[in-house]
Amino acid sequence: MDMNEIKEIFFQECEEQLAELESGLLKLNDGDRDPETVNAVFRAVHSIKGGAGAFGLDDLVSFAHVFETTLDCVRSNRLDPGPEVLKVMLKSADVLADLTNAARDGGSVDEARSRQLIKELEALANGEVPQASAAAVEPVAKPVAVVAPPPVNDEGFQPVAFSFDDFDAAEEPLMDMPVYEIVFKPKSDLYAKGNEATLLLRDLSRLGEMSIHCDMGALPTLDRLSPESAYFFWKISLKTDKGEDAIRTVFEFAEWDCDLEISLVEDEATQSGEELPMQPVPFDLSILDDEPAVLVGVVEEEEQLASRRQDRDAAVSAAGTASNVLQMAQSAARTPAEKPAPAAASAAAQSAAAQQAAASAATPTIRVDLDRVDRLINLVGELVINQAMLSQSVVENDNNGTSSINMGLEELQQLTREIQDSVMAIRAQPVKPVFQRMSRIVREIADMTGKSVRLITEGENTEVDKTVIDKLAEPLTHMIRNAVDHGLETPEKRLAAGKSAEGTVRLTAKHRSGRIVIELADDGAGINREKVRQKAIDNDLITADANLSDEEIDNLIFHAGFSTADKISDISGRGVGMDVVKRSIQALGGRINISSKPGHGSVFTMSLPLTLAVLDGMVVTVANQTLVVPLTAIVETLQPEAAAIHSFGSNQRLISIRNSFCPLVDVGRILNFRAIQANPVEGVALLVESEGGGQRALMVDAIQGQRQVVIKSLEANYTHVPGIAAATILGDGRVALILDVDAIVAASRGHSLKPEMSLAAAG
Amino acid sequence: MASKKTAQKTLSLAPVLDLNEATALHEKLLALKGSDIVIDASAVERVGTLCVQVLMAGAKTWEEDHLSFTFSKVSDAFEKTTQLIGVEIDHLVAKEI
Repeated sequence: MDMNEIKEIFFQECEEQLAELESGLLKLNDGDRDPETVNAVFRAVHSIKGGAGAFGLDDLVSFAHVFETTLDCVRSNRLDPGPEVLKVMLKSADVLADLTNAARDGGSVDEARSRQLIKELEALANGEVPQASAAAVEPVAKPVAVVAPPPVNDEGFQPVAFSFDDFDAAEEPLMDMPVYEIVFKPKSDLYAKGNEATLLLRDLSRLGEMSIHCDMGALPTLDRLSPESAYFFWKISLKTDKGEDAIRTVFEFAEWDCDLEISLVEDEATQSGEELPMQPVPFDLSILDDEPAVLVGVVEEEEQLASRRQDRDAAVSAAGTASNVLQMAQSAARTPAEKPAPAAASAAAQSAAAQQAAASAATPTIRVDLDRVDRLINLVGELVINQAMLSQSVVENDNNGTSSINMGLEELQQLTREIQDSVMAIRAQPVKPVFQRMSRIVREIADMTGKSVRLITEGENTEVDKTVIDKLAEPLTHMIRNAVDHGLETPEKRLAAGKSAEGTVRLTAKHRSGRIVIELADDGAGINREKVRQKAIDNDLITADANLSDEEIDNLIFHAGFSTADKISDISGRGVGMDVVKRSIQALGGRINISSKPGHGSVFTMSLPLTLAVLDGMVVTVANQTLVVPLTAIVETLQPEAAAIHSFGSNQRLISIRNSFCPLVDVGRILNFRAIQANPVEGVALLVESEGGGQRALMVDAIQGQRQVVIKSLEANYTHVPGIAAATILGDGRVALILDVDAIVAASRGHSLKPEMSLAAAG
Repeated sequence: MASKKTAQKTLSLAPVLDLNEATALHEKLLALKGSDIVIDASAVERVGTLCVQVLMAGAKTWEEDHLSFTFSKVSDAFEKTTQLIGVEIDHLVAKEI
C-alpha cells in the first residue's frame, strides 16, 4: 500500500468523521447535552487533526486544532454550547470540510473565512462572548506551535492539549529507582468535576518515595478568594521504579483539568540543587484511607484502567475514547452528590465503556470499489434475463416438461432473485449524507439572505440505491435553495404574519409502496399564484385569459426560464431552477409534485424508485405490443363486465367497482397504439393508484404474467418517450416498454403526455 | 499572645471538609474576620484541597491583619493530609500555652 492509498483512506475516513461531526453538532443544536455527543464531535475533529498531521496538511491541522480546543471547552463544560456558539461551530465544520476537500483535490478555500472563524473559535475558547471582536487573538500560524498552548493563568480557559500518543510514549526506566520531577497544576475544573488533588497526591505517594512542595504564591487573602478555584500547585519529586506510565495513570482522570509536567531527573545532584523547600511525605497514610466512599471508587477505577491499558495496544483510539467516557461518567456521577457514590460511579463508567466498546465493535465493514459492485449488479441483471430466457425456452420446447426440470428452474429463479436482492442491498445507502449536506446549504443560504432557518430532517436512515442518492443531491440542493430564498419570508415579514421569526424547512424521506418519497416542506408564504400567473403571461407561457386551476398554476414554476424572484439573486436566480429539478427527477424515474397553501408554505413531493436496476412488473399486451406495468402501482386486476361500463361525456368511460366509479383509461389509445377505443369487455382492467392521488382503471388487452424485469434506461439508450418509464429485455429477447403509470394517469385527466407543450400551445 | 482588644473566637471544623464544604468554610471564616481565631481541627476525618486553600488564605489574611490564627488541636488525618500536599501548618499549631 503506497502513501497515496493511505492518504485516500484518510480522506474517506475524514468524510465519515465530518458527517459524524456535523450530525453531532446538529444534535447539540437541538438541545442534546449528552456528553457522548460532545465526545463524538470532539473525537471527529481530533481524528481529522491527527491524520492530517501525519500527512503534513498544515492548514487542516491548525484549523482543526483551534476547533478542537474550543470543543474541548464544551466538553469540559467550560463553554455552554448555546445557539451562538453552535453557529460558529457549524460554520467551522463547513470550513473543516472545505479544508479537507482542498487538501484532497487541491481546491481553494476561503481563507478570510477560515481566519475569521479561527478568531471566533479562539474567542470562544477564551471565554469571550460570541460575536465579540476577537481581534486580539492571533491566528495560529503553525501546527507545531499549537501542540501545547500554555495556560493563560490559573483561572484561564486555555485547555490542555492532549494526545493519546502520550500514553504510549513512556519508556520503561532503565536505571534503578529513577527520580521524576512532577509539576502538577490543577485547574479549578479539576475540583468542579469532583476530583480531589489530595487523593491524586496520595496515589502518587504510593508509587514510591515522594517529597513535595506546595506553591501557595497564587493564594489571595480571604476576601478575594474564590473558594472553589484552584490556587495551589505542586512540585513533586518522586523516586519510583514504576515508570512514567504509572505516574500518568494516577492523573489520568484529571489530565484535562490540570497542567502536568513529568520529567525524569537524570542526576540527583541537579535536583538537590533546587532551592525549593521540599516536604517529605509520610509513608503511613493509612489514616487517610478511612474514607472508603471515595477510595474504593478510585481503586476500582484504577483497576479498570489497568485492564484497559492492555486493550489500548489493540485499539488506541477506542480505549482513549472509553477513558473520555469514563471521565465524563465519573465526573457526572460525582459532582452532584455530596458523598460520592463510588459503586454507582464505577458502574456507570463501566457501562459507558461497555457501550462505547459495543459501538466501536458494531458491524464490521469493508470498503469496496463501486465499480466492482456495479459490475456485479450488471452481471446479476444479465443472469436474471438469462434465467427468464431459459425458463421460456424450456416451456416452449418441452410441452410436457418433466417436473424435475420445472422444479429446478423454479429453484433457480428463487436463487437468482435472492442474489439480486442481496446485490441490490449492497448498493442501498441511507439518504443521511445527502440530507446532511443540505443542512450546510440551508445555513449558507440563510446567512446570505439574512433569514433565520431551521432545517428538520426526518427518515434520514431511509435506504435507497446509491445511484439515486448521488443524483438526488443536485435537485435537492436546488429545491432547498429555492425553499429558503423564495419560499420563506424575511423574519420581519414572518413576524408580521404572526409566525415565528425562524422559518422551518422540513426534509423527510420515507418508503411508500416500493418507492422512496422525499418531501420538502417549508412554512413560508406559499406560492404567489397571481405573481406566477402574471409571470407566465409575461413570458408567453400562457395567454392572459387562460383558465388554469391552482394546481396548474403551481406547476408553472417547473417551466424552463421561470423565476419569480423580483431580483435575480446569486442563490437561486438565473431562472434555471425548477425545470432542471424536474428533469433530473424524471431522469431518475421519479416524479415531483407541488402543493402550496398561500400563507402556510409549499410542499414538494418527490417520488423516486428505490433502485434503478430492477422492478417487479406485470407483463401485459396492448394492441399487440408487450408492455410492463410496475407491480407497485397496481392495486388489483379485474375483468370488466359490460354492465359495469358507463359512458361519460363525449368519450370518457367509467367503470363501476364495488359501488364506486373509476375512470377507465385505454392505455392503447393514450399511447397512440390504436386509433379507436378498445372494447373494455374484451380486455382486462388494472386498477392503479397514482402519485397524484385517486385510482384509475387502466385498460389493457391481456395479462401475460408477472415477472421481475431488469430496467434498461430508454433515456440512456434512445430518448425519453412520454408515458414510458424505461424498457426491459424479455425472456424471448424482445424489448418491452415499461409503462409510466402516473404519466398515463395524468394524460387521462386531459393533460397531454407532454404537459409543457400543451400549455405553451395554449398560450 | 491574643490581642486584648478583641475577643478570641473559636471555629470547630466539621469532620468532612470536602469540595462542597469549601464555600461554607469560606463564609464562616469571613464572618470571623477581625478577631483572633483558634481553629479546632480535632474532629476532621477528611479534608480536601479546597478547604486547605481556604484555611491557608485565612491564615494569610489574619497575618496581614496582625491577628492570631492558630490551630488548637489537629486530628491525625488533618495533619497527614496537609503534610501530604506539602502545606506547612506546624507554625500555626498552638504549642503548649
